[in-house]
Amino acid sequence: MTRYDLPDFAPDLLAAFATRRAERVHTPVIQPADPFLDMAGEDLRRRIFLTASETGTSLCLRPEFTIPVCLRHIETATGTPKRYAYLGEVFRQRRGGAEEFYQAGIEDLGERDVASADARAIVDAMDLLRVVLPGQAQTLSLTLGDQAVFEAVVAALGLPVGWQKRMIHAFGDVGHLEALLDRLARPQPVTGLDPEIEALLSADRQDDLIARLERRMEETGYSTNASRSPAEIARRLKEKRELAETRLDGSALLLLREFLTLRLPLAEASAALAGFADAADLKLGPAIAAFDARLAALANAGADLSAMTYRAAFGRPLDYYTGMVFEIVASGGAEVLAGGGRFDRLMTLLGAQSHIPAVGFSLWLDRIEALRDAAQGKTGEPE
Amino acid sequence: MTITIALPSKGRMKDEASAIFERAGLKISTVGNDRSYRGRVDGIDDVEIAFLSASEISREIGAGSVDFGVTGEDLVREGLADADERVEFCARLGFGHADVVVAVPDIWLDVDTMADLGDVAADFRTRHGRRLAIATKYWRLTQQHFSGSHGIQLYRIVESLGATEGAPASGSADIIVDITSTGSTLTANHLKILSDGIILRSQACLVRARKPGHENDIRVREIVERVQAALRG
Repeated sequence: MTRYDLPDFAPDLLAAFATRRAERVHTPVIQPADPFLDMAGEDLRRRIFLTASETGTSLCLRPEFTIPVCLRHIETATGTPKRYAYLGEVFRQRRGGAEEFYQAGIEDLGERDVASADARAIVDAMDLLRVVLPGQAQTLSLTLGDQAVFEAVVAALGLPVGWQKRMIHAFGDVGHLEALLDRLARPQPVTGLDPEIEALLSADRQDDLIARLERRMEETGYSTNASRSPAEIARRLKEKRELAETRLDGSALLLLREFLTLRLPLAEASAALAGFADAADLKLGPAIAAFDARLAALANAGADLSAMTYRAAFGRPLDYYTGMVFEIVASGGAEVLAGGGRFDRLMTLLGAQSHIPAVGFSLWLDRIEALRDAAQGKTGEPE
Repeated sequence: MTITIALPSKGRMKDEASAIFERAGLKISTVGNDRSYRGRVDGIDDVEIAFLSASEISREIGAGSVDFGVTGEDLVREGLADADERVEFCARLGFGHADVVVAVPDIWLDVDTMADLGDVAADFRTRHGRRLAIATKYWRLTQQHFSGSHGIQLYRIVESLGATEGAPASGSADIIVDITSTGSTLTANHLKILSDGIILRSQACLVRARKPGHENDIRVREIVERVQAALRG
């Protein structure tokens, strides 16, 4: 049964936000659609409610809060660090579940102490869930991933930068990553190039190659509006040939696959990662140091690490996520009650003038409400 | 219950569809004058013909307001989410061939595959300050091919309802997803199809709306069998 009213525990959350000195902000329900489609990709289009203004501007019903809150921060030119809280309705086309439902969360912008900010996001998400799910605190379990560790592993394996970028881009998308690993195991040489181009490439005559591409663009009348320049095409042609020859030997591939299967209690993750790095003879220094610093900050904040799991392959394949991601479920349930992560690249992508580190999380209030109802023996029928 | 078959209302599609139905022993005559948009099948009662435009046909089948339709597979798959759950492709009719393809400027010598395009798309924002732009009228098919099959998320669709192949040269988009039958328009516009860039090989199909009432309806089975037999024959 779908409920459209503010959940009755909303005041508890607002009080908890105030205690944490997170400033509650309001954002319009009707949002420009472009920032969402630009950031999350066109795949989002079929999952949001789109409309257009009379003048043709593409608009949508707010599908989430992070982008509106960040845009608002940029527009109001507020200084950092700054912590925002939100609570309100979001709208998404979903196969199962309601299409309008409530979310609440915190966005922490500009905190330079990354480890502490990460830990605080996790602890806040856990604490807020405990507030609204009293009696079920023991059943909450958290899974954490860290893209920075994955980035360090692919770098340490000695992959060329182009390949590292491909792998990082696919991180969190199992199918895509698996396809890349296949290509690394069985390199396919680049074929089918015009012999003249081939000769220029082989002789490494980049300037002549660029000149040739330029001529051809002019002849075809394409040059005036071309997005990719002859220099960009020539550069990638060269890079593509180098990358096509890249091959990971069996043992390196095995290591990478082994890493991606790592899944263990968070308290044991540091030792396991260090052990993995040693056994594989990989230098993961700074990434592991940052991972450890986050764990220490979590322990300092009094987090119960025993309810937390590290899963090495856990990530989100969007280019603004940069480090830690996490999600919290109630044991036995598959539905995510809280999801969060670090998105250090989002603010500049949205137009911020300077780099602003950012971390945040969101609570799914409709799922929480259903759990509360179940605990109280309610069936969800109207009273 | 009347069975309604939606057929293309004009042009070669109309003629070819009528010819196949006639070979199948389902001769169609228009009700009233030649330009009427309603018809019937000679010798079979309770079967009605509605002459509609090809895109209307796919919409009406999706809504279940007609029982059968003859239209392009591309229009059905573009128009309907979960097309295979909602409609059945009963027969491929052998005309109206067109491929829905991904085409890029042929000067992009470094881009031959979707994987190449994935590399370019991933870097595009950094290099050009915006996402890679795709001109197309096939929103759904583009998303399925890029996001679903090839893990490419970062691009923007620019709606294009005509002369799509001109978009890269005019600068309104970087690449296109469009239909082509011979590829000559693409070549003339200095575009090339990626080696794994064929999203769908489309042709005119006899399509049935999946409706519960069809299961025991002998007329439904007969229409399908007759058309299939005519194609074999």
